[in-house]
Amino acid sequence: MSGPLLEARAIVVRFGGVVALDAVDFAAAPNSISGLVGPNGAGKTTLFGVLSGLLRPRSGQVLLDGVDVTHASVQRRVRGGLARTFQRLELFTELTVRDHLIVAQRVRHRRDRTMLRDLVGAGSRPAEDEVEFVAGILSLLGLDDVADRPVVSLPLGTGRIVEIARALATEPRIVLLDEPTSGLDLHETEAVARALRAARDNRGVAFVLVEHDVELVLQLCEEITVLDFGRVITRGNPDEIRTSAEVQAAYLGAPAEAAP
Amino acid sequence: MQSYILAGLVLGSIYAISALGLVLTYTSSRVVNFAHGATAYVVAVFYHYLNHVQGWPILSAAVVSLLVFAPLLGLVLWAALFRQLMHAPAEIRFLATVGLWVALPAAVRIVFPFSQAEIYQPQGLVKLPAEIFHLSIFDLSINANQVAILAGGAAVVIGLTVLLRSTPMGLATRATVDSPRSAEISGINTTLVTAGSWAVGTAFAGLAGVLLTPILGLSDLEFTLLLVASFAAAVVGRLTSLPLTFAGAMLIGLIQGISVDFLPSTGVLATGFKPSVPFIVMLGALLLYQGLRREHFEVDLRSGSATRERPAPPKLTGWRAAVGPLAVGALLFSVPLWLNDFWIGVVSQGVALAILFLTFTIVTGEGGMLSLCQATLAGVGGFTAAALATHSTIFGEQVADWFGSSAGWPIGLAILAGALVAVPVGMIVASLSLRLGEIYLALATLAFALLVQQLVFARSEFDNFGTGVAISRPIWLGIDFNDRTDFYLLLAVIFCVVAVLVVNLRRATTGLVLAAMRSSEPGAATVGVSIVRSRLLAFGVSSFIAGLGGALFALTIGRAQPSDFNVLIGIVWLAIVVTWGVRSVVGALLAGIIFAVVPQRLSLILVLVLLFTVGGILANLVLSKRIFTALGAALAIAVVAGTVFGIPRLYDIEFGEGWRDVPTLLFGLGAVALARQPRGVLFDFVSRIRMQQAERAARAAEDEGAPHELVGAT
Repeated sequence: MSGPLLEARAIVVRFGGVVALDAVDFAAAPNSISGLVGPNGAGKTTLFGVLSGLLRPRSGQVLLDGVDVTHASVQRRVRGGLARTFQRLELFTELTVRDHLIVAQRVRHRRDRTMLRDLVGAGSRPAEDEVEFVAGILSLLGLDDVADRPVVSLPLGTGRIVEIARALATEPRIVLLDEPTSGLDLHETEAVARALRAARDNRGVAFVLVEHDVELVLQLCEEITVLDFGRVITRGNPDEIRTSAEVQAAYLGAPAEAAP
Repeated sequence: MQSYILAGLVLGSIYAISALGLVLTYTSSRVVNFAHGATAYVVAVFYHYLNHVQGWPILSAAVVSLLVFAPLLGLVLWAALFRQLMHAPAEIRFLATVGLWVALPAAVRIVFPFSQAEIYQPQGLVKLPAEIFHLSIFDLSINANQVAILAGGAAVVIGLTVLLRSTPMGLATRATVDSPRSAEISGINTTLVTAGSWAVGTAFAGLAGVLLTPILGLSDLEFTLLLVASFAAAVVGRLTSLPLTFAGAMLIGLIQGISVDFLPSTGVLATGFKPSVPFIVMLGALLLYQGLRREHFEVDLRSGSATRERPAPPKLTGWRAAVGPLAVGALLFSVPLWLNDFWIGVVSQGVALAILFLTFTIVTGEGGMLSLCQATLAGVGGFTAAALATHSTIFGEQVADWFGSSAGWPIGLAILAGALVAVPVGMIVASLSLRLGEIYLALATLAFALLVQQLVFARSEFDNFGTGVAISRPIWLGIDFNDRTDFYLLLAVIFCVVAVLVVNLRRATTGLVLAAMRSSEPGAATVGVSIVRSRLLAFGVSSFIAGLGGALFALTIGRAQPSDFNVLIGIVWLAIVVTWGVRSVVGALLAGIIFAVVPQRLSLILVLVLLFTVGGILANLVLSKRIFTALGAALAIAVVAGTVFGIPRLYDIEFGEGWRDVPTLLFGLGAVALARQPRGVLFDFVSRIRMQQAERAARAAEDEGAPHELVGAT
């Protein structure tokens, strides 16, 4: 397949009189990891909201695999293969790690629309293919040991990986990650990076990272888009971004490696 | 016409005073106070007590109750309860204030008893009989009471405007409302501001209450109406805008006042139109706002912190999981062996109620939704079943004649029809406000419940001079269910069947999805859960159970009557279910039985309290450190001995009229205390012990050098 998997065209978002995004274009290729960086207030989170369906742009289009989803709900985008994670964890605190994936898997296959079967007790045992699928994701991301623990007892870094696992259980083709390493230490950050690479290589899933940690983005991403003041100031591969004068200017003249 | 407008302005002023208090407390602390009407009632009763019973002059009674007692009440409630609730999840905030709504009126009636005769025309802020003035410009007579109310309304509005606009305190308040965190950083004592707003808000509620009594009397119902009218006005102001809230209150008052001119003087519209005005206004505002917000509502943009409940202990597996349910089942079915006919009858009512209470298990426990109309839905089921079974023509002659022109429907079919009719009713009410979020669902269901109570259940076909619609028990398979034991066993079987269905639902995908939505709506949306649809379905199931339970309760007591399904009974039900476990079917069973049994023998309360003291001490024994064990053991032995020897004697004590409100008070307080533990008393008790055991086992394993697992807080 050629062409981008997820594409934003000329997105404009205004909050009152403030232009948060001014004709921003963005594209993510299949089976790739792309990054979205920029200083505070650049519009990263706003663009993320537009892509994931939380915000409707004033004008512009969002295309998911060539289909216009600009006005589609979050739920419809999920069925189209778009998943996301949250910066502040949005886990299901009462459920175990495994149940997170089972819920996602069942909803994905419309197995949640079985209230009558559930009432008579026919729906409580997970199907075999479901168990297998979930176990596959758990071992891919190294979550086997905590699979049956309630998520409240897990550290933040593991929680982030559970969110990635939950996203993968919806069988997405692209996952949006909102600051997946904020608040994590070096060790946990590496674990998240490992999980992302493993998922891309084994499942053919594309990722879009919105990150403060520029170094991580430079290491992990093939294509990086830099936003500042609601405009794309440059895009390119890590080497181009590392040497880009615009990026250095945007980060107050400091070399990109030393940026926040 | 002028006099109707005047009456409207007077009502509007009272609503405005109360609604402004509600909005003030909500904006400063984000707690929607369902006990607002109850606090108004408490202050009004206190004023009545000072003025009428103690014979204080109006001025000093007013100063003490409105400027001292009411703000103090607000401060105490804030410090003891609302303050803790500010950061609690919406569900818990709601349940705790509902508990308070149940407890406060009961408490005040115990402390300041007054006779029923006194409640109809108590004295307000003006000496009775009120002086009448004639305004020739408007060709209008106005009495001193109305003058006082208008003056009170104007004083509140002007005072609040001046306070907020032009004083440092007002600036601090506005800053706190906009952003508590930024306000705190700029050196504003936000705690003081919130406390102050609760004091002022409660004083407003009290003023509204005192002004209301000379017009409408000191009855529970009128204060519920005041609450709903204030809520409707607050919804017009989106719970935040003071000017819009004021406009909403005046609108409701004026419609209610002026409509009297156009309505017939008798019949259901004469009595039913007035209470339906707040509902209509609220509905209009909800639909309008829903239309405006629809675009963005699928997921709220602010991703909040997820609910942090105490984690559940690991699930029991194998034979251990079956012990609890089997024991409860054995106890339930053995009741006829050890109780006499009278008590079997009482417990039957309890089991019928327990079936009904499973509606809360679904809607609030599993669905995490805040509904105040479950009693109304039960009433829909009960009246439908009774009317069909007795060949009443409420639904038209054709429907009544379906099974022959003289006999009614077969009882079983009538009950099923009752349960089914409740489903669309419940789903329509829920769909009106579900999109707007939890608190709006609570407000809309409350307004709906009151509307049905006043407009439908009050009709003579249903009310029948207080006797309701009769329904008699069937003979099935040769068993005459007029026999108390047989009927009891029938109810027990039905309870078990419905309970199993509820547990099935919880364990299956539906339960997983509902649990996911309870802890994180944004999270659930991102895996593709359609939130409104799932909630609506859960509401439908809960409506069915409510209708079924209502029909069975009517069958148990032999009639469906309005007083069994009114709004206030409904909130007491909710409070007691919350106390015993809103997420547990055993909790629902206990709640039902206790609700039926305790009023028969008030002394049972003391027995229960004692049993819980024993239980609490035993639990602490299991939990506590060694130093306290000896002391605890001695105390436990003393209390066990005291309980064993004391129960038979306590059981025989007869209590007077003054104790009538004690059960209600305890149910309410229970809900306030246990809202944080949605699985209820029993679960709390068991889980503490089991968590402790698990921790001990973990420590032992660690000592043996087992691999260190990941443990930490997210």
